[in-house]
Amino acid sequence: MSTEQGGNRADTAERTTTTGRRQFLGAAGLAGVVGAGLATFGAAGCRREPESQATAGADPHVKPGELDTYYGLWSGGHTGDLRVLGMPSGREIHRVPCFVPDPLVGWGITNESKAIMGTNPDGSLKYTVGDTHHTHASYRDGNYDGRYAWINDKINCRIARIRLDTFTCDKITELPNVQGFHGIFPDKADPVDPAINYTTRVFCGSEFSTPLPNDGRGMNDASAYRSLFTCVDAESMEVRWQVLIDGNCDLVATSFDGKLAATNQYNTEMGVTFADMMSAERDRCAFFHIERIEAAVAAGRTRTYGDSKVPVVDGTIAANGDPATALVAYVSVPKNPHGVNASPDGKYFICSGKLSPTATVIDLSRVLEWFGGTREDIDSSIVAEVEIGLGPLHTAFDGRGNAYTTLFLDSQIVKWNVDAAIRFHAGDQSVAYVVDRLDVHYQPGHINASQSETKAADGQWLAVGCKFSKDRFLPAGPLHPENEQLIDIRGERMVLVAEHPVRPEPHDFIIFKRELLTPKQVYQLSDFPLALASGEDAGVTRSGNRVTVKIASVAPVFSPSEFTVRRGDVVTVIMTNFDTVEDLTHGFAIEKYNINFIVNPQETKSVTFRADRTGVYWYYCTHFCHALHLEMRGRMIVEG
Amino acid sequence: MSRRLPFLLAALLVMWGQTAHGQSAYDVALPVELTSSPDLCTYAPCRDVMPGAERFSLRKGRPAYVEAFGPGEADAAPLLGYVFLSTDIVDIPAYSGKPVVTLIGMDTAGTIVGTRILKHSEPILLVGIPEAQLTRFVNQFIGKRAWDKVEIGRARDAAAIGVDGISGATVTVIAQNQVMMRSAYQVARQVGIVQTEPRAPAVFVDDGARQDWAGLVREGSVQRLRVTAADVGETSRDPIIDIHFGYLNAPAVGRSVLGDAAWTRLMERLGPDEHAIFLIASGRESFKGSGFVRGGIYDRVQVAQDVDTYTFRDRDYLNLYGIEAPGAPAFSESAIFIVRGASFSGAYPWSLVFLANTVDRATGQRTFTSFDQEYWLAAKYLEGGRPQVATPEAAWVTIWRNRAPEIAIFVTLLVGIAVAQTVRDRLTRASSRQNHWPVESIKYVGWAVSIGFVGFHLMAQPSITQVLTWFHGVVFDWNWELFLSEPFVFIFWVFILITVFIWGRGLFCGWLCPFGSLSEMLHKIGGVIGLGRFQFKLPMKWHDRLKWVKYAVFLGLLVVSFFSMTLAETLAEVEPFKTTFLVGIWNRSWPFALFATGLLGLSLFIERPFCKYLCPLGASLAMPSTFRWIGLRRKPACNSCAACAVRCGSQAIDADGRIDHRECLLCLECMILYTDAHTCPPLVVERKRREKAGLPLTPIGADGHYIPLTAVASGPAAVWPVKPKSNVDPRMQTDPVEPAWERQPSIVRRAMAELRHHFWPIGEGRRWSAHAIAVAALAGAGVVLALAIARVIPPVSVLGAALLLSFWEARARMASLRFVKEGPWWKHQYRAARPMDMLSYVGFKNLMIGALVFLTLKALGLLVL
Repeated sequence: MSTEQGGNRADTAERTTTTGRRQFLGAAGLAGVVGAGLATFGAAGCRREPESQATAGADPHVKPGELDTYYGLWSGGHTGDLRVLGMPSGREIHRVPCFVPDPLVGWGITNESKAIMGTNPDGSLKYTVGDTHHTHASYRDGNYDGRYAWINDKINCRIARIRLDTFTCDKITELPNVQGFHGIFPDKADPVDPAINYTTRVFCGSEFSTPLPNDGRGMNDASAYRSLFTCVDAESMEVRWQVLIDGNCDLVATSFDGKLAATNQYNTEMGVTFADMMSAERDRCAFFHIERIEAAVAAGRTRTYGDSKVPVVDGTIAANGDPATALVAYVSVPKNPHGVNASPDGKYFICSGKLSPTATVIDLSRVLEWFGGTREDIDSSIVAEVEIGLGPLHTAFDGRGNAYTTLFLDSQIVKWNVDAAIRFHAGDQSVAYVVDRLDVHYQPGHINASQSETKAADGQWLAVGCKFSKDRFLPAGPLHPENEQLIDIRGERMVLVAEHPVRPEPHDFIIFKRELLTPKQVYQLSDFPLALASGEDAGVTRSGNRVTVKIASVAPVFSPSEFTVRRGDVVTVIMTNFDTVEDLTHGFAIEKYNINFIVNPQETKSVTFRADRTGVYWYYCTHFCHALHLEMRGRMIVEG
Repeated sequence: MSRRLPFLLAALLVMWGQTAHGQSAYDVALPVELTSSPDLCTYAPCRDVMPGAERFSLRKGRPAYVEAFGPGEADAAPLLGYVFLSTDIVDIPAYSGKPVVTLIGMDTAGTIVGTRILKHSEPILLVGIPEAQLTRFVNQFIGKRAWDKVEIGRARDAAAIGVDGISGATVTVIAQNQVMMRSAYQVARQVGIVQTEPRAPAVFVDDGARQDWAGLVREGSVQRLRVTAADVGETSRDPIIDIHFGYLNAPAVGRSVLGDAAWTRLMERLGPDEHAIFLIASGRESFKGSGFVRGGIYDRVQVAQDVDTYTFRDRDYLNLYGIEAPGAPAFSESAIFIVRGASFSGAYPWSLVFLANTVDRATGQRTFTSFDQEYWLAAKYLEGGRPQVATPEAAWVTIWRNRAPEIAIFVTLLVGIAVAQTVRDRLTRASSRQNHWPVESIKYVGWAVSIGFVGFHLMAQPSITQVLTWFHGVVFDWNWELFLSEPFVFIFWVFILITVFIWGRGLFCGWLCPFGSLSEMLHKIGGVIGLGRFQFKLPMKWHDRLKWVKYAVFLGLLVVSFFSMTLAETLAEVEPFKTTFLVGIWNRSWPFALFATGLLGLSLFIERPFCKYLCPLGASLAMPSTFRWIGLRRKPACNSCAACAVRCGSQAIDADGRIDHRECLLCLECMILYTDAHTCPPLVVERKRREKAGLPLTPIGADGHYIPLTAVASGPAAVWPVKPKSNVDPRMQTDPVEPAWERQPSIVRRAMAELRHHFWPIGEGRRWSAHAIAVAALAGAGVVLALAIARVIPPVSVLGAALLLSFWEARARMASLRFVKEGPWWKHQYRAARPMDMLSYVGFKNLMIGALVFLTLKALGLLVL
C-alpha cells in the first residue's frame, strides 16, 4: 500500500470518527433532554447520563483584539503567588508575587519587596515558601470595589494584601499563634455603622491546632491544643483580635450585613491523627457575632498568648452557653464539612459535607435569632440538609436561586435549587431540588461562578478547579497540571465549554466583571520616596563604605552608564524609570551578583548588596524596552 | 526616467541640507542653564531664529519667552519679536518619549520667522531618515502665523494649511507640529498678538435619562466619521474605517453609552479640565494604529476645537468595555480617550479628526490626509442651550469678501475689455491707419492694468499648470473650493473660457495676459525709444515652422503630467510667469532670471517671441480658438492684397489673405484697415472711382465696402482691378465643404447625421476594414478604461489612452471626413480641415465628451477612480 493511500485512509478515518462522534453526541443530547424530563419527575439525586453536555455552550474564545469580559483572581497554591486570569478565555495575564521571591519583578530582591516580605536581622528573607489557597477581594455595597484582594499563606500563616490598582502586594502580616491558616474572607459591611458599607476587616481561619502559646510546653497533651479565629484590619493590616474556639477552623464566610462570620470545623474532635479527626458523625460550623466580639475586646475581656499583643476573646462552647451573651454559636453539620459559602441573596450559608453526601443550608436570620435569644436550638437554623452526591466540597451561586457544588468523589458538579432543597427538607418529598449534573475531569475541588458571592451574581460562567487532570493533556512527565474547566451556566443545563491546564496548584478563586477595576497605567514618581527628582539626580554618593548609586533609566540608556565602587562596599542601587510610555518597563540585572528586578514607567526600586568581588561587572536591561535594548547596559567597576 | 528625476533632485536637496546644517542635534548634551538660566540667549542661538536682532531680554512671562530687539540704544531699540524655547511652553514628547527641544522666533505680528532644533532624541531619525528631513520639516513653519491651523499633509479644509510630513516618522511630525504651533500660539496670546476669549466650560443638564443608540444618533449625540477607500486614493468604495463617536461628559450621553455605574466611575476618575470621548469603529483600518506602542502617542486620531488640537497619549486611553445603549452597531475597535486641556469646552463644537495615508493617484506618492467630523452637543443637554458661535464661513468666501474692491476693479477691467471687443467694429471704424487711438487707448489701459495690477499686484497670471490641473481634476478630484480660493485666477479662467468660445484666445492673449501685455508693451516702447530699426519679424517661412513649437511644448507638458504632475509643474517653468510676477526676477536663481530677462529683452526686437513660439498656455487656448464663433472680417479681394499681412504683428495672415485664428491676438490692425478708405486697397480704389465719378461716398458696410448706390448689387469684386492670385476665398479659413447630409431635407436626419459625424470618425462608404479598425481602437480604449477602474493600471492611463485615441481619430478623419465645422456650433458651415484644424476639433470634442462622461458617471456614483 502506498503512503498516499495510507494518508487518504487516515483522513477518512478522521472524518468517520468526527462524524461518528457528532452523531453520538446528537443522540446523547436527545437522551439528555429525555433524562432531564425524567429528572424533573424523578427522585432527588437522580443521576443524569454523563454525556448530556451535548448542547452547545457559549464560545469562550476571545478573538484577537477582543478583551475578556471578566477578571479572575486565582490562588497559586504552593507556588505561593496570586494569578490574574482573563475570563472566559482562561488566559493567564499576570502573576503577582507576594509570599515567595520572584526573579522577574525582583520580589524578594529589592529592598522594598523585602521590607514587605519580612527579613531576618541579617537582611535575608524570613520565609521563601508559601502556599496560597484563598483569595477574596474587598467589597462595597455587596459587590467588589476594586481596592484590594487578600490571599493566605498556609505554610507560614501570613496574609498578603494585593492592591488592585497596581496588582502588587503592599502588605504582609503574619498571624500569631496559629498554624494551617487556610480560609479568609473580608467582611462586606460593618455590623454597627451602616455608613461603612464596605470591607474593613478580613477574617482568617486556621486549621491546625497547637498548644497555646506554642512555646514547647504541653506538646504531648493534644486535647489541650487550640485554634484561634483571627480578624485583620483591612486598611492597617494589623491583627485586630482573635477568638479562642473549640475545634479547628477551615474556610470562612461573611454575611452581607456584616453581622456574622463563620468557619466550618472538620476537626471538632481535636484529633491529631487521621482516624481521630473523622471519628465524629457531625462536626460544626462556628458563627461569630462580630459586634459582640468587638464589644468584648473594647471592654477588655481578653487575654494574650506568648509574645503576641493581639487580644484574644474566649469563644469556647463552655464560655458561650448563654445565647444572650454568646460571641460564638456552634451549628452542627455532618461529618468533616468542607466549605462554607454565602448565598448572594444574603440569606444562607451553605456547608458541604465532604464525608457526608449532603449540603447543609443554614438560615442566617435564625442564627441571629439564636443570638437574640428568640430561638432555643441553634441547630434549628439548619433549613435544609439534603443529599447531593459524594464528596461535596465547595458551592457557587448563579443569582437565580441555584447552587453549584463540587462533588470530589463523583467527579461531578451538581446544580441544585436552594429553595427546592429547603422545601424538600421541610418534608415535601416530591420536590426535585437537583437540577443538573455534569461530569468534570477529574475530582473537582474549588468552584466559583462569575460574581458568585456578591449581590451581583450573574449566572454566566462557572469555573471548576479539578485536582486531577490524568489523561486530559499531553503528558509531561509524572507531574500533571491541574485542570481548570469552564462551564456555561446561563441555561438550565450546565455546558462544559473549555478546559485549561494550569501549573499546580490553584485552589480558590473569584471571577468578577472587568468594569469593577480601574488599574493604573503607569506609576507616578511621587509614589516613591526614593525616586530621583530628575535625570540630573543620577550619580554615586559615598558615606564610609556605604555607596548609593542613583540610576535613571530612559530607553535605551542607563544614566550613569558606569560606576565604580571598592571591594567590600555595601552598595545600594536606586533606579528610577523616567520613561513615561505605558508598558515601557526596564529591567536591571548585574552579572554574577545574583540581582535582577524590573522598574515600570515612573517607578523607583532599590537593591542593596555587598560588592565582594573585584572586576568589571556589566549591568543590563533584562526587560525588552527598545530597538537598542541590547545596548542598554553599563559597567559596575569594583576596585580591589 | 521621468519618475526618477524628482527623487534625484530631492536627494540632492537633502544632501545640501545636511551639509548646510552641519552638526547633528541627536541627543546632544545641552547646557543645564538653557532650561534654567534667566538669560536664555546666552545659551541658545537666539540670533539664528530672529534675523536682525541685536539684543535679547531675560526670560519673562509664564510660560517663558524673551524679547528680541533690533539695533539701537537700550530704550530706542525696536522690538523685533519674541524668542522662546519649546520645552518652556509645552511638554509634548515625540516618538522617543522625549521632547524635541526647539528654539522658535516669532515677530511682533505673530509670524514665525525662524526655528532651530537644539536637541532631539528621535531614534527613527538616527536609523534611517536623515536628520535634515526634520530640519526641512520645521522650516516649513517659517512664515506661518501663530493662529494658523497647520496640518500634516493635505489640509482638510481651506482654513487650514498643509505641510509636508516625513514619511516613516509620523509620530515625530505630529508631535512637532503641535510643539511649534502651540508654543507660538501661547506666546502670541501672552504678548497680546492673539486675543482670545476662553470658551466657557459646559454646564450639563442631568435628568438621569438614558437613550437608545438610534436616539443618540438622531439627536447628534453620536456622530459618524466614515472614510472610504476611494477617499484615500483606492478604487473601492468600502469604508476603510467607520467611526462612531460621542462626548461622554454629557450625562445623558455618558449614561446611555456606558450605563450609570460605569459612567459614574469614569466621571470620578476624571479631573477638572478632563473630558472623555468614546470611539467605536469597524473597517480594515485601525484608529489606534501602532504608533502609540513605543512612542505613546496615537497618531491617527485627534480632537480639534478651533485652533486647539488635542492628541492622545497611551495614558489618555481607557478600555471601552461595551455600549450599553441598545441598538449600537457591531465594532471591532473601541476606545475611551481623555481630552486634557482647560481650553476645551464640551459646550462648543469640536471635531474628531482621523489621519489617513492617501495615495496620490497622479504621482503614486503617499501623503497624509485628515478627515474630520464635527460634534456639537445638543442644546437640550446644556444649561442655557448652545452658546453663540460665530460659524466661520468657508475660507473662499472670506477671501472673496476681503478682496472685494480688487475683485471689482478686476471684473471692471475684464468687462470693459469684453465690451470693447463687442463694439470693436465701432472702434476700428473710428480709427485709421494714422490714428489707432480709439483701439489702442483701450488696449493700453488694459495692458497697464494687466501688468501692474493683475500681474504684479494680484499675481493672477494664468498658467498652463492650471490647465493641467483641470485635466487631472476632471478624472480625479474636482474641488470647487480649491479653485474658488484663488478668486482672481478663478474669475480670469471663467472669463477666458467664455471669450475663447466667442472671440478666440486673442482677447485674453492680446489684451489681458500680463506677461503677453508686458512683452508687447516692451516692443512698443522699443519702437518709441528708437530701437525701431532693429525690430524685425521672422521670415514667414520660419515663423510658420516655429509657431508649432508651442503646441509641442503644450503636448509635452500634458504627457509628462500623466506620469508626474510634480515634474510637469517643474517643466512648466518654461513659462517665465513665476519668475516675472510671482517671485520676482531678482529673487530667483540665475537660470530662471536669465530666461525671463532674455525673453523680455528679446521682446524689444521681436514682437511677443514667447507668445508666438513657446507659450503652452497660448497653444492650449489656440486649439479651441479654431472654432471661435465670431471671426475677423475679410474681403474676397484680400487674397490678392498683402496690406494687412504686412502690418499683422502676429504674422497670422497668410499669402492668401486668410487669418489664422489660432495665431491671431486680436490687435484689430486689419480691422482698422478694413474700413479705412484711405488704406485698404479695394476701398481706396472704390473711393477714388466714386470721387472721380462724383458719386457720394456711402457708409462702409459690414462687408468692408461702400454700401452700393443702387439696391441692385453689382458685385463689389468687379470694382477691384487686381486679378486675384487664386480662387481662394479669404473670408473662410479654408475652402468650404458641404457634407452630403446637409442636402437632406429632414432636419432630424441632418441632426442625426451630424451626430454620427461627431461620434464616428469613419465616413460612410469607407471599406469595412476602416470601420473595423475604429471598433478596435475604441475597444482598446474601453479596455484601458476598464483596467483603470479595476486598478490594474493607474487611472492616469485613461488620459493617455484618450490622447492616443484622439490622435488616431484625427488621422482617421483626415482620410475620409476631412472637414470641420466653422464658426458657431449651431450653424452649418463646414470647411476643409488642415491637420491642426482636425486635431483641434478632435481634441476639443473628445475633451468635452470625456468630461461629460466622467462627470456624469461620478455624479451617479458609478465611477470611483
